[in-house]
Amino acid sequence: MSESRDDKRVLSGKHLDSGNVAIAEGAIAAGLHGYFGYPITPSSTVMEHIASRLPKVGGRFFQAEDELASIIATIGCSWTRKKAMTATSGPGFSLMQEGIGLAAFTETPIVLANIMRGGPSTGLPTFPGQQELMQAHFGSHGDYLIPTFAPSSVQECFDLTVEAFNASEALRTPVFVLSDQVLSTLKERYIIPEKLEIVDRAKPNAEPIVWKGETISPEFVPPMNCFGEEKKAFATGLSHDPSGHVDLSADTYEKLLRRQREKILRYNHLLPEPESYQVEDADVVVVAYGSTARSAKHAINLLRKEGIQAGLFRLRTIWPFPDEALREKTKGKEVLVTEMSQGQLIWPVERFLRREVHHLPYYRGEIPPPSRIIEKVKEIGGKGK
Amino acid sequence: MMIDFSKIGHNLEDSLTSKMLPHIWCSGCSLGTNLQSIIRGILRTGLDLDREVVFVSGIGCTGRASGYVEADGFHTTHGRAIPFATGVKLGNPDLEVIVFSGDGDLFAIGGNHFIHACRRNIDMTIICNNNSTYGLTGGQASPTSFEKTRTPTTVGENDPPFNLVDLALGAGADFVARYTSAHYKILPRVISEAIKTEGVAFIDLVSGCPAIYGKRNGYPTGEYMVKNLLEASKEIVPDENGTYLLPENTRIHFDSSVGYIRIPVGIFRRQER
Ligand SMILES: Cc1ncc(C[n+]2csc(CCOP(=O)(O)OP(=O)(O)O)c2C)c(N)n1
Ligand code: SF4
Ligand SMILES: [Mg+2]
Repeated sequence: MSESRDDKRVLSGKHLDSGNVAIAEGAIAAGLHGYFGYPITPSSTVMEHIASRLPKVGGRFFQAEDELASIIATIGCSWTRKKAMTATSGPGFSLMQEGIGLAAFTETPIVLANIMRGGPSTGLPTFPGQQELMQAHFGSHGDYLIPTFAPSSVQECFDLTVEAFNASEALRTPVFVLSDQVLSTLKERYIIPEKLEIVDRAKPNAEPIVWKGETISPEFVPPMNCFGEEKKAFATGLSHDPSGHVDLSADTYEKLLRRQREKILRYNHLLPEPESYQVEDADVVVVAYGSTARSAKHAINLLRKEGIQAGLFRLRTIWPFPDEALREKTKGKEVLVTEMSQGQLIWPVERFLRREVHHLPYYRGEIPPPSRIIEKVKEIGGKGK
Repeated sequence: MMIDFSKIGHNLEDSLTSKMLPHIWCSGCSLGTNLQSIIRGILRTGLDLDREVVFVSGIGCTGRASGYVEADGFHTTHGRAIPFATGVKLGNPDLEVIVFSGDGDLFAIGGNHFIHACRRNIDMTIICNNNSTYGLTGGQASPTSFEKTRTPTTVGENDPPFNLVDLALGAGADFVARYTSAHYKILPRVISEAIKTEGVAFIDLVSGCPAIYGKRNGYPTGEYMVKNLLEASKEIVPDENGTYLLPENTRIHFDSSVGYIRIPVGIFRRQER
């Protein structure tokens, strides 16, 4: 409801709007202070909505000269203990890879929403794709693990953005929201709740923070000493000791990399869980995420009407990959991966199931139509009763 | 001879991060003197180094400076000191942000950020340790390397160098100065004025890399370099019609057999009070 766009941060109530607006509102509700971005379709409406809202609630909006600058400025803002984010799409996500590695290695809480379009290169600016799943995992050089959430509805665009901020603050890490062009323009009803859990990063010499009822261990997530505070706050993209200063020794480096991975894995269970839809009695389980999963769900409903037992395993957290849940839900069943890519999601699925699965890659700048998924499930052998 | 650094005092000891010392810089390099000039400049403003200053650098020999100063700081990726500083400023405008980085960092890979920072004039001080080379990676040609110069990546002649003063003036910085590392007596005053400037204050701090670039280009030692920088420096004389600001009058002349020939120095632009 556009008339409620006032000076409040959390616009509790019912709204009818696009996924991109919901991402923007989720960020503002979660306590965003600084937004830094560079226009690119289909992410620009996140930026435009934030530009219209954020200054009214005391935050700062900044249009940078390019994506190299937007992500680095986002990191800079976060070091003043302010929540910061950027949003982009394909080509911009590629340019941001440098800053992503820096944010991961310096354990800087930031949120990056990547609204996927078809690639490679300039690709299909106004059509959807799901080709950045691997880039979200391995895009920047070096070893790191960045929590990556994928919404599938406008409601989830809001919810998972709030989750992304909370996870980034609680675990001192960059977090990705991987949305897509379909969700960016799709308008749906979504609800902003009255009460939201909002997490702020731990301070040195203070009580450890609690997130979803769990105390976050300072041993795994060191409290962040930010600029303008008591001690010298310093960070470098070089290997560093716990004080943040350069230390290139083998032990320091190994310990640092290990802890940075472990801190994410240790709190993995607090990240958004996958959705299992009609999997219990399913012969064929479709594995999908994002807007593709909407088509898959529709296909499953139609298949069920024909008496064909199909189900959906929908990823909401993509990285770290929910491997245990996937194994459990697909035990003894045929698995079909469908995605808007020649094959990215299929890699972790096969790796974690340690077997070959069926694949419906669809890369035509649109979500795989339910008819194609139905066809494929039948081909695999989802039989009627 | 082993030097026990824990027993040696330094007159700016309180402003340096002792655990990071000794620094990695070669003897004779401009960087030590420049860091001293900058710290003195900051202290002159009366700012609390620990609480009010953020020292940001990029990658290079110069980039390591942020780790040595007892102020909040960040050692960003190559070329990104300015956008990082911009983010800090938007996060907390009360912090005084100082960017200290190399000519390669600020004007090759980070050049775009520099001109946009000058255009926006968000309050920050940008000091370029301009040694006309990529010191850290072995003395390759940089955007301020001179045309007739010897570097491992110069084939024939280099392309013409940037005149950083002209560039900063053209891009709209509020304060533009040039001095050399040998001007350590004047520099703290200039730097404190730069810090107090409300928009972008830029200092082209002409410096030397005697260990690598200087050896190949006419100033083989730190001692020679300091003399050379002082002798070649010519303080500008502002005139009514601004001819001292013309690019041909602000450019640096250099000859790889003797080093610097002419370095116009001074404050080229300052905010009206
Ligand atoms: C993206 C990237 N490209 C290249 C490098 C390698 N590199 C490190 S320092 C440097 C140049 C440094 O030159 P300058 O900024 O003038 O600093 P100086 O060492 O002279 O102080 C380069 C090219 C890097 N670290 N990152
Ligand atoms: S390589 Fe050159 S710039 Fe780097 S520390 Fe040595 S003398 Fe200085
Ligand atoms: Mg240099």
